[in-house]
Amino acid sequence: MIDFVGKRKVFILLSLLLVITGLIFVFTKGFNLGVDFAGGTEFVISSDKEISINEIRDILSSIKSEYATAKIAKLKNLNVENSELFQYSVVLKESLSGSTALKEELIKSMKSKFSEKGIKIDFLEFNDVSGYAAEEIKSYAWYAVIISLVLLLAYITLRFKFSFGVGAIIALAHDIIITMGFYSLFGIEINVAAIAAFLTLAGYSLNDTIVVYDKIRENMKKLRGKKSIEEIVNTSINEVIVRSINTSLTTFLVVLPILIWGGRAIAPFAFGLAVGVVVGTYSSLYIASPIVIGWIKKAKTF
Amino acid sequence: MKSHKVRVIISVVVILTALLMFFWPSKTASENTGVFKYFSNIKLGLDIKGGSMLEYNMKLDEGTDPNEIIDNVILVLRKRLDAAGYTEAVVSKVVSGNKIRVRVEIPGITDIETAEKLIGSRGKLYFAEVIDVQTSDTKPEIRRNKYVVINGKEEPIYDYVRDLYDETTWYKVQKYFTFGKEPFEFTGTEVVDANADINTRKKGFLVNLKFSSQGSKKFELITGNLVGKRLAIILDNRVIIAPVVNQKITSSSAVIEGIQTIEEARNVAALIKAGNLPVDLVKFQERTTGPTLGKDVVETIVKAGLLGLLVVMVYMIAFYGWMGVVADIALLFNSMLLLGVLAGTHAILTLPGLAGIILTFGTTVDGNVIIYERIKEELRHGRPPLTAVRFGFDKAFWTLFDANLTTVLAGVVLYYFATGTVRGFAITLIIGVLGSMFTNLVVSRAILESTSHLINVKKYQSAAVEEGKR
Repeated sequence: MIDFVGKRKVFILLSLLLVITGLIFVFTKGFNLGVDFAGGTEFVISSDKEISINEIRDILSSIKSEYATAKIAKLKNLNVENSELFQYSVVLKESLSGSTALKEELIKSMKSKFSEKGIKIDFLEFNDVSGYAAEEIKSYAWYAVIISLVLLLAYITLRFKFSFGVGAIIALAHDIIITMGFYSLFGIEINVAAIAAFLTLAGYSLNDTIVVYDKIRENMKKLRGKKSIEEIVNTSINEVIVRSINTSLTTFLVVLPILIWGGRAIAPFAFGLAVGVVVGTYSSLYIASPIVIGWIKKAKTF
Repeated sequence: MKSHKVRVIISVVVILTALLMFFWPSKTASENTGVFKYFSNIKLGLDIKGGSMLEYNMKLDEGTDPNEIIDNVILVLRKRLDAAGYTEAVVSKVVSGNKIRVRVEIPGITDIETAEKLIGSRGKLYFAEVIDVQTSDTKPEIRRNKYVVINGKEEPIYDYVRDLYDETTWYKVQKYFTFGKEPFEFTGTEVVDANADINTRKKGFLVNLKFSSQGSKKFELITGNLVGKRLAIILDNRVIIAPVVNQKITSSSAVIEGIQTIEEARNVAALIKAGNLPVDLVKFQERTTGPTLGKDVVETIVKAGLLGLLVVMVYMIAFYGWMGVVADIALLFNSMLLLGVLAGTHAILTLPGLAGIILTFGTTVDGNVIIYERIKEELRHGRPPLTAVRFGFDKAFWTLFDANLTTVLAGVVLYYFATGTVRGFAITLIIGVLGSMFTNLVVSRAILESTSHLINVKKYQSAAVEEGKR
């Protein structure tokens, strides 16, 4: 048997450290906000010859000087009908604010300027999100997060006890903040897919926590009076640890290939889950259960 | 044993239905290539098959109720897209707080700029004198055209315009009127209102037209000069109706008589009213994905997903032996079930939705793991395999229920708040998690109860004995 409960102070301290570090990153370095949340224009082009990022920037700034600040990245090569195409993504800070004229000018001049150099480019993707749209998506994201938290707290309170609900929410906040810290640290784009990852993570983290709580609930009935609360909680954790590790490992194994090969579109989502699964498992074993011990002791009836 | 039989029957029926839904030959099958062939019964999102989503704000005058205008806007856009051949396009209303927007989704579009012009422009409705009517498959040519100067631009005066309903009927029309001091046009902006009504004096139905004050002056001039001739009403280069002018009209209203059915009258009125967009549209957001990119991304994700699936399946067998095999069957069962439900309900599968399916693998495995750990516990207590399996499933029920319901709750919230492609994720997550509960509690149980003799009991019981010694 592994002693999870006895060393709980060490792990709570470790978690506090991680959370604080996460918060520091979030508030100082901030996030790499995608156009969903910051507004702006992003597009993906393909070309039949390799072009340097500076070349793209020069051409962009020759169309409009403001475009010089664009974020440009090379993406993985694309295989279309047995020929290899090079792929680049460009993010303009400012939205074209829905102007068809500006957009047409941008597309036409880029195509013609590259064809002067003997390079054929194509637009594979074009997203334009106005600042208003970004604001709206942002406010919705907050609503979604708050409402799901309230619902989940209510559900756990209904099925378990309020203290367990609070414990689960603390573990959840712990997981989300630490994962956010990782997004900030690695500069992973926060877009709508990343929010989806956070909400899935919320579901997973609670799922993990609930399985442990369920075991504690069962063992409390069976062993009450025979063993101390600490022992009961520790036995419970040990009984579910195989499940926790198996589940996290299998989920991680599924998400990892997507993170590696899934490409730009799905990476922000896969990243959140890959990190979240690890953090979530850790918290359900070391954090969620030990922190409710004090609470259970006070309310002796269960 | 009765409930066991029921479980077996339900499992078989469910999987057969799912397979039927998924593999039922569909009309679009031949159009799809590559991985899409296998998804021919599933509606794919624009981010996978390529297409464009455009969302517009309406630029309203103060005090105008957007609810009154939005239906008209949708109707106009619908007509325009149909006329341009984008019959699969979807035009819908988006309500966000107290704001109302219009969203246009066009699948498989390559010429996005043309479509944007089509949507963004206010549209052109005009009245023109009918010179001649011809039957032809193609647009007849005008030999000697005359030109007039309108708004500082030289424009040809004659044109051939097709009938709205009859593809082979062409009207030769004179687009500009040359009766006044200067040539002029009569456009939809002069029409204030149009509505259908029953004709109280004669048989049939009529359409009432109301003109602006400037419009009525122009209309008086036109009708005064064209008595006995036909006047065509043209929308986006299609003749809606071409009534004969009976008399000079001096008031600000006119009627079109002799319409056979009320439906036709309503349609004519709607088209005349719909001719011009009542408001300017300002683009709010656009998301366009080309078909090559979507296909490439899907292929990589499917490959990555299958790889992950394979690794998990091997892992499960290595760890749980026969029970692992059952878990793998459950995994395939649930994936099939999910695809069947998607095909059957016509839910839209998006890129994040695909990720949702892959996540379902995790949930299904998780459910099985929870149950198997229970069964192992029961085996350690020395129970015979079949009893251990039954106890295991019974005890794991509420654990599974509580644990999965939280995921479903998160999914439901996401479904309500997310728009577009992320909604596709919420859909597959919810269906997948519910499906995994069904698969784990019904299907896995049915299989394991029939094959409990294949579980390697000794492995767990001896472990229990060893634990006891220590």
